[in-house]
This record gives sequence, C-alpha cells and structure tokens, in this order.
Amino acid sequence: MALLEIEDLQKDFSGLKVIFGIDLRVEQGERHAIIGPNGAGKSTLFNLITGKYVPSRGKIVFKGHDITGFSPHRILHLGVARSFQITNIFRSMTIFENFRNAILSRRKMRNNLFSPLSRMGSIVEETERAISLVGLLEKRNERAGELAHGHQRAIEIGLTMAMEPELILLDEPTAGMSKGETMEMVQLIEKVTEGKTLIIVEHDMDVVFRLASRITVIYYGKVLASGPPEEIRRDPRVKDAYLGRERS
Amino acid sequence: MKNLLVRQVAIIVAILLLLGIAPHFLKVTQIRMLNEIAYFSLFAISFNLLFGYGGLLSFGHAAYFGLGAYTTAILLKRIAGMPLLLSIFLGGMAAAIGGAVVGFFCVRRKGGYFALLTLAFNQLIWAVAWKWRTVTGGDDGIGGFVPKSLGFGIATFDLTKTATMYYLTMTIAVVLLFLAWYLTKTPFGNTIWAVKVNQERAAFLGYDVNFSKHLIFTISSFFAGIAGSLFAVFQDFVATNVVNLLLSTEIILMTILGGTGSFFGPILGAAIFVYFSDWFSSLTDRWEFFMGALFIIVVLYFHQGAIGLIPKRLKSIFRN
Repeated sequence: MALLEIEDLQKDFSGLKVIFGIDLRVEQGERHAIIGPNGAGKSTLFNLITGKYVPSRGKIVFKGHDITGFSPHRILHLGVARSFQITNIFRSMTIFENFRNAILSRRKMRNNLFSPLSRMGSIVEETERAISLVGLLEKRNERAGELAHGHQRAIEIGLTMAMEPELILLDEPTAGMSKGETMEMVQLIEKVTEGKTLIIVEHDMDVVFRLASRITVIYYGKVLASGPPEEIRRDPRVKDAYLGRERS
Repeated sequence: MKNLLVRQVAIIVAILLLLGIAPHFLKVTQIRMLNEIAYFSLFAISFNLLFGYGGLLSFGHAAYFGLGAYTTAILLKRIAGMPLLLSIFLGGMAAAIGGAVVGFFCVRRKGGYFALLTLAFNQLIWAVAWKWRTVTGGDDGIGGFVPKSLGFGIATFDLTKTATMYYLTMTIAVVLLFLAWYLTKTPFGNTIWAVKVNQERAAFLGYDVNFSKHLIFTISSFFAGIAGSLFAVFQDFVATNVVNLLLSTEIILMTILGGTGSFFGPILGAAIFVYFSDWFSSLTDRWEFFMGALFIIVVLYFHQGAIGLIPKRLKSIFRN
C-alpha cells in the first residue's frame, strides 16, 4: 500500500476550476518532486492534501485512512506536515518560542491548563534539539521576524521537521534564495529528511534533479507525466510544456 | 534568577499587606472605590485574556458580567438559605455556559465579524434582561438580596460593614487574578498566544484553532461572570446597566487605558478608570467628556497604555 494515494482529485473555486482530476501515488521512503509552470495547481494540490482547502471531488488516502476534507490539525496529527512557499512563521516570537510551539503540539500538551510551562524541562530539551537540527541554536533568543531571509526559511523547514512527520511536504523551499543559499538549503533538506517520505514543489530544476527519486509534472491542473527523473528529463511533452521553455 | 523571584514575592506580599490594612486607614468612600477597582480589575483581566492574549476583540463582554450578576442576584433572592459563596461561583458558571454557547458561533468568524457577532449577542442578552420582568425585574432591577452576615461555622462576618464586604470582594478577586495569571503561564496560555501571532501556522502545526479560541472565550466569560457576581453582591442591586453595551465599551476603555500588552496593565486601567470617573464626576456633570478625551489621548499617544509609563527597571522585576 502506498503511503499517500490520491484519486481523481478536483478543485474549483466558485466555478473556476484549478485541479482537473489528479491521480498520485507516493510510496514509503519516496522523494517525490512536483513540477509545473506557474498556475499549474501545485500549491493548490498541497493545500488540498494538508486540509487548507476541501476538495470538490476525489479522494485522499494517507496510510489507509481517508483524510479527504479533514481539518489541518487532524491531518497533521496523523503524520503529514508541510512548509509554506511564503515564509509562515511566528514572526514576533523568538526562535526558541517558535520551535516550542511545534514541540508542545507534537507532545499533545497544547491544551494543558494546569502545569507551568517553565517547569517543563523535557520540552526545553526537545525544543533545543529541533533547533540544532537546522543549525540555529546560537540564535535561539532572537526574534524570528528580524532574522535574515535564509534563516527564516530554515525555521520554516525546521518547524515542519520538528513535528516528526511521516510525510513531509515542502512548498518551494528555495523560493527567493540566491544560488549559494539554495545549495545550503538543499544540503539542509537532504540532512533533515534522510530516510523520510518527501513531496517537494520546486521551480529550480537543479534542486529537483538532485533531491527527487520520482517526478510528477502538473500542467493546467492535470498530471502530464510521472516517473523517475531520467524518464521525465527525456519526455518530449514535458520538454514542450515546461523544461524547454525554461531554457529559452 | 533567585534574586528576582525574591523581589517579585516581596512586592506581591507588600501589595497584599497594603490591601489588607487599607480599610483601617481609608474613608468609607475610599474603601468602596477600592472595592470597585477589585471587581473591575477582574473584569478587565478577563477581557484582556481574550483581547490582549487571544487577539479577539469582543464588543459584548458585558453579557458575561451581566449573566454572573443576574444569576447571583436571582439565586440569592429566590432561594432561601442560598450560600453566598456558592451563588457567586454559580454566577461564574452561568457566564461560562453563556460564553460557551455564544463563543461557539463567534470564534468561527474573524476580525470585524467576530466583534459584531459578540455585540449582537450582548444586545440579545440585554433585551432578555430588560423584557423578562418576572425574573429580572426589567429596568426596576433586583435589590436587597445579600444576606446580612456570612457564617463559616466558627466565625460569622457582618456583611453590612463596608470593610467586611471589601475583604470578601478583594479576597475572591485576588485569588481569581492569580488563577488568570497562572493560566497565561501554562501551555494553553502559550497556545492562545501562538494562535494570535499566526493562526494559519498554528493550525498546520496541529493546533485546533477554533477549539482554543472557544475555550479561552469560555474561560474569559467565567472570570467576567465572577466579576459581575462580586458587583451584584457589593451593590446589593442589579439592573440592566450590568449587561448593556455601555459597560461593554467601558471595559474595552479600561483595558486599553491600562495597556493590553502586559498582564497587570488592565488592573492599572481599572484603577485609573474608577478613580478618574469618580474625580471628574465630582468636578463636573460633563465628566464623560473628559473620560473620552483621556481615552483618545492614551490611544493616540501611549500605545502601551498607562503601564508603559512605568519605568523599565521597575517593570523588569515583573517580567516572567
């Protein structure tokens, strides 16, 4: 059984159809890249899988559970965590507080009304471990919103990883980064997602071909092609729709 | 760290001692003023749990103050031998139930819609209080329900004395203020903050945003209800002004006057509000004008509220 199975997924926003029936299978341990031109529906697909939007039709099955139409927090606690294309962190909180939010949620202590937070030593330890995974421990008391873009992106990925998900969805993790920063981010992603199941939306083809073990091309809300990287690279339809245009 | 804790405890003990001996030095009118500050502090803190911590601006918080006040008044009036403390607790519970019902509808709406919905429910509850004369007395209100004395078996207290009433109100208010403060230090307090700072990210980190908002709405209503009950017991009279929109705006004013960014700000705001409205109204019968001017000045020029005027060094003692 695949870890994630999507069947005939469709989405329209009050009449405007964005996703026209997508089928997708993601196996355990796979590193699946989703590519396609702007407006192809990649982010919408992420938003459907993680519960931000409710599908108009179709089915999303994770680990055998039908999660179609579930709310984001339920999907998260089943083991699916995502990062955002536009950095979406707790800007007015420190790095430590950002990660502590993640740890408190993962440990299911978020509604604890009775014990003081300051007495929870194990939470502090776990929080610091999660921060050190993305290499920001020495900045733990700095406000997230005041950090450099690259560091904010690292928090974005780090928060997602701190949930220890079984399925990780990264939405354009290198968006807005220089070449150097991008390479650092790729190394970080390789390090933190090792051995885990990953779905990544990415525009940078170098990043895609380096990270992915399987690629799905989406074009105008439909799957154009899906297969191993070499196959996709050679596929003439993909060249026409996407790769070729990029070269010109 | 240790030193800081010692200083914090020392200051709190000093304040409690001052409040404890205050009735021996103050005039009756001044004791009554402190009493008013006590329940309005609790009301303002309850409002700030929602607004300052949760980012939820309610325009109808008097609804829960009023539910508490009416519940306590009606219980004491209708049921012979109703224990006073139980009636106050049930006042809080009634407000919490009211808050849970109203909150269910409100927390699913954002920003302005949330505010308008709380206002509409406030108006609805006010209309019930105004029109259901057989129970609430309508605009005649309910009076004369507080028992003459409060007995605990070994000791009996004379509630007709201003000082006794003061100790009763102050003790309950201080205990509940402590509980509210404690709440902000728990993981749930952190949850409320996280949802306020970034609701979407919180949801995608597994926080049930609507549930958290609903719970803080209900808890806040409980505290507001107890404040209302204390008001009812202190005044020994309840009418529709405990549940009207004027009171809902006054509590917003008090909270913002004091400062929403710190736990203690609203207490300062309640004190300023009670003191200045008393002072202005002794000078002129157009005192509301001056209160309005004061409020505008604070909103325009003192973004942190009155608490922002306290020197940083003094404030750092109270951090964390």
